[in-house]
Amino acid sequence: MTTVIMRTTARAVVPIILVVAISLFFEGHNLPGGGFIGGVLTVTAFAIIYMAFGLDFLERGVLGRDVDPGKEHSRDRVVVAYRRLFAYGFAIAVASGLGPLLFGEPFLAQSFVMLEGVPIYDHLEVASALAFDFGVYCVVVGGLLTILSVVGAE
Amino acid sequence: MSPDLAIVVAAVALPFIAAALTPLFFRVLGEGTGFAGSLVALSSFGLLASQYGDEGTVALEWIPSLDIALRFHVDGWALLFALLACGIGTLIFTYSPAYMHGESGLVRFYAALLAFMGSIVGVALAADLIAIFLFWELTSLCSFVLIGHYTADDSSQYAARMAMLITVGGGLFLLVGLLLLSIVAGDVVGPASAFDLAAMLEQPDAMAAALRDRGLFLPVLGLLAIGAGTKSAQVPLHFWLPNAMAAPTPVSAFLHSATMVKVGVYFIGRVRPMLVGPEWLFLFATLGLTTMTVCAIMAVAATDIKELLAYSTASHLGLMVAGFGFTSVYGAETGVFHLLNHALFKAALFLVAGIVAHEAGTREIDELGGLRHDLPVTAAITAVVALSMAGIPPFNGFYSKELLFEAAVEASHHHDIGLLGWLYPAVAVFGSIFTVLYSLKFLSLFFGERPADLGHVHRPPVTLLIPPAVLALLAAVVSVDPELAVEVIVQSGLEATAVDPHEMHVGIPTSFSPAVGMSAVTIGVGLLAFPAYGRLHDGIRAIPRTVPPIGANWWYDTIVDGLSDEGREFAEYVHNGLLRTYATWTLAATCTLALTGFVAAGAIAPTEFGLEVTLAIGLVLLVAVIGGLAVVTSDSHIAGVLTLSILGFMVAIFYILASAPDLALTQLVVETLVLVIFLLVIEEIPESDEIEVGRSVRDAVLSVGVGATAFVTVLVTTSARPDGPTDIARYYAEQAVPEGGGTNIVNVTLVDFRGFDTLGELAVVALASISILTLIVMRGRGDDGYPAARGNDGSPGEEPPTDDSRSDEPTDTQRDSQAAGGEDE
Repeated sequence: MTTVIMRTTARAVVPIILVVAISLFFEGHNLPGGGFIGGVLTVTAFAIIYMAFGLDFLERGVLGRDVDPGKEHSRDRVVVAYRRLFAYGFAIAVASGLGPLLFGEPFLAQSFVMLEGVPIYDHLEVASALAFDFGVYCVVVGGLLTILSVVGAE
Repeated sequence: MSPDLAIVVAAVALPFIAAALTPLFFRVLGEGTGFAGSLVALSSFGLLASQYGDEGTVALEWIPSLDIALRFHVDGWALLFALLACGIGTLIFTYSPAYMHGESGLVRFYAALLAFMGSIVGVALAADLIAIFLFWELTSLCSFVLIGHYTADDSSQYAARMAMLITVGGGLFLLVGLLLLSIVAGDVVGPASAFDLAAMLEQPDAMAAALRDRGLFLPVLGLLAIGAGTKSAQVPLHFWLPNAMAAPTPVSAFLHSATMVKVGVYFIGRVRPMLVGPEWLFLFATLGLTTMTVCAIMAVAATDIKELLAYSTASHLGLMVAGFGFTSVYGAETGVFHLLNHALFKAALFLVAGIVAHEAGTREIDELGGLRHDLPVTAAITAVVALSMAGIPPFNGFYSKELLFEAAVEASHHHDIGLLGWLYPAVAVFGSIFTVLYSLKFLSLFFGERPADLGHVHRPPVTLLIPPAVLALLAAVVSVDPELAVEVIVQSGLEATAVDPHEMHVGIPTSFSPAVGMSAVTIGVGLLAFPAYGRLHDGIRAIPRTVPPIGANWWYDTIVDGLSDEGREFAEYVHNGLLRTYATWTLAATCTLALTGFVAAGAIAPTEFGLEVTLAIGLVLLVAVIGGLAVVTSDSHIAGVLTLSILGFMVAIFYILASAPDLALTQLVVETLVLVIFLLVIEEIPESDEIEVGRSVRDAVLSVGVGATAFVTVLVTTSARPDGPTDIARYYAEQAVPEGGGTNIVNVTLVDFRGFDTLGELAVVALASISILTLIVMRGRGDDGYPAARGNDGSPGEEPPTDDSRSDEPTDTQRDSQAAGGEDE
């Protein structure tokens, strides 16, 4: 499927998808979106890269590393990074749940503050749930990308 | 005076803490860890002794929301048992370093022994049903570890597994019994002390009446009896105890004679005031006397000194159970006093057996004899304790046996039991004759001719001699002055276990009574029959050889082996290495369970459901249905997957029309991603249309079943919903902005209100990735971790990894790999 049309489209589409994914993630608290959807959309962007440029593209083209031709794909550093990502994401989610315990709140209790007078945005809401949602995002991205890259390598 | 909570808790906790620190002790002290253990045991003994004379309940808060607490009740009975455990523990820890010299696995040995001592003290003092159960099972677990001490030895593993299965399994019966008890106790003593055994025992009559009212008296009695009977090796579940002799001798002396096996007896004594009655008499007197007689006969058939002592232990446990079974006060006296006496003489006998095995190098009865020349001190100790076991006056075993005879004679005076009134005393005498026989046999190892082929027998080190000597000395003190023991501890133990306790007196009888006559017959016949011991021994041994099913062990082996074989055969069907088989079983089981659940709960009711859909939604759903039909009729996998995604996208559009933007967004993105992954995998799946008719029928039935389950579930869950938003829905809608600070209710619910659920789902995503990674990455490897090239299956052993070399019985990993690998060939 690595046709010229596919590659050209991918070049234009992938950045847009990633930006949309990130905005979905940040907007999630007040508009449709959130960590899960943002995560899955990010994975779709990666899926398009894989389909358009092949599995080794990230390793060779973007990160500029050499890839042994016969090497098992699941040993790639990118895949290792994905695996780490979902582990860290899970750690972030748990840690964000443990945080409230320090303030005498129950596990996973959430709170938020409104910052007034911020430049450009005027007011900005900082919800502690965003940390938890970030954990969700990381787990989804890491987990699905691991599956995608390993299954894709077969 | 009320006991001190801190001291009681310290006495229970100290051994556990020491058990956790054992590796540290061992690093510093090496084989001397045993002496540190005896110091710990002695400290617990001292702590408990400081509570001597106190009575009352103390509690440490544990799970207040369920009214479960670490309640400890201190009274004479609890102290007798706990002090016995700590006291004998001290001696065992002193004995162990010399006995276990040069062996490996000592850290595990001492840690388990210490943890065991903590659990046994815990079970003695605990007054909370849950705490009792936990400590009870902990003793079984420690016993499992200790019996299986020689991990490389098959017979040791077999014995450990058997003990575990029987005692832990019995513990589960006990748990059910305790829970039934707590249900009734909730009504009688108040829900706050539903698990408080001490509170129940304060109103034994009210408890018994309430149990009878609710028809739970017999179930509770039966369940507790099974629990206590398995733990205390009562017939027909006695066979684990002789097998447990695979453990090192200190363990046998401590766990399997003096303490753990007495937990059942102890508990019977504990609940006796509450459950005593005609059923009690019938159950426990029969059970106890049967065990006493059967195991005494088996002890005569034993060829190994530890086996002899093991059967004798079971027999004496039967004596104690029978004692508590008799409802008169003599019964309680028998149980309490014999618990003490038996611990003194039997632990000493085991330690003597350990010395003999250690110094003479054999435990076979036929190969031993005339040991008094080599082991004079040991012989003196044995004389005291063996005669005590035989129940020869004036040794201490005689007094408690005399009490049993009195209780057996008294039984018919208290209850109208007809013929049993004669049978009980007769069986008691009959069993006791065998007790005299095997006791004399054990003693005869030290006398008579020394067999020629018995090699040099070493003198035992002094640390091996002191513990049995101390026990023999105590037995001698009790023999000379039984009233002293009664005064010190037995009387207070009696008060906790008897219904109408009174001043207890024991001593050498001075006038004739039926019990004296029974003792005379027992000892006389025993002495007369001793010359015929060899013939009796051979005769009894011949019975199980000719009729195997008479032995309980045969039943155990048959049942366990049968179940293992059945399990293996069943696994061939369920766990055959093909993913489709797993899917079939999982889905079929889920559907069956869900549908049965709905039917059982009466959730399926004919409901009218009108079709209220707008034209747009109707059209979308129609396209979805057509897409679904097209999947089935498509002739290639690619077409099937693509048409399947039509269905998915239609569902997404349905969500948009039903104003659920979050769901729609998720559905769209996930659908896209799943389509991509499907397309990646699909190339690997062979395009084969040839499948058997049977399998396609199975698949069709399963698909219809899954569809029906999903359909019914949706119907049931939506029809159960009340009209309008529920309280929870309203709460989320109202509180999303003020509490969660977000206007997207779905997201606020996910990350804030129900964050715990989301965390669980994250774990699922992470686990799914790990399992897929493992399945795919590891599938090229066999058992030996041989990294075969991709596309090849792993092969076992040393054979080269080729496709043809699959063995007939692949291991699990290989089967998985075949399942995964089979798809791409």
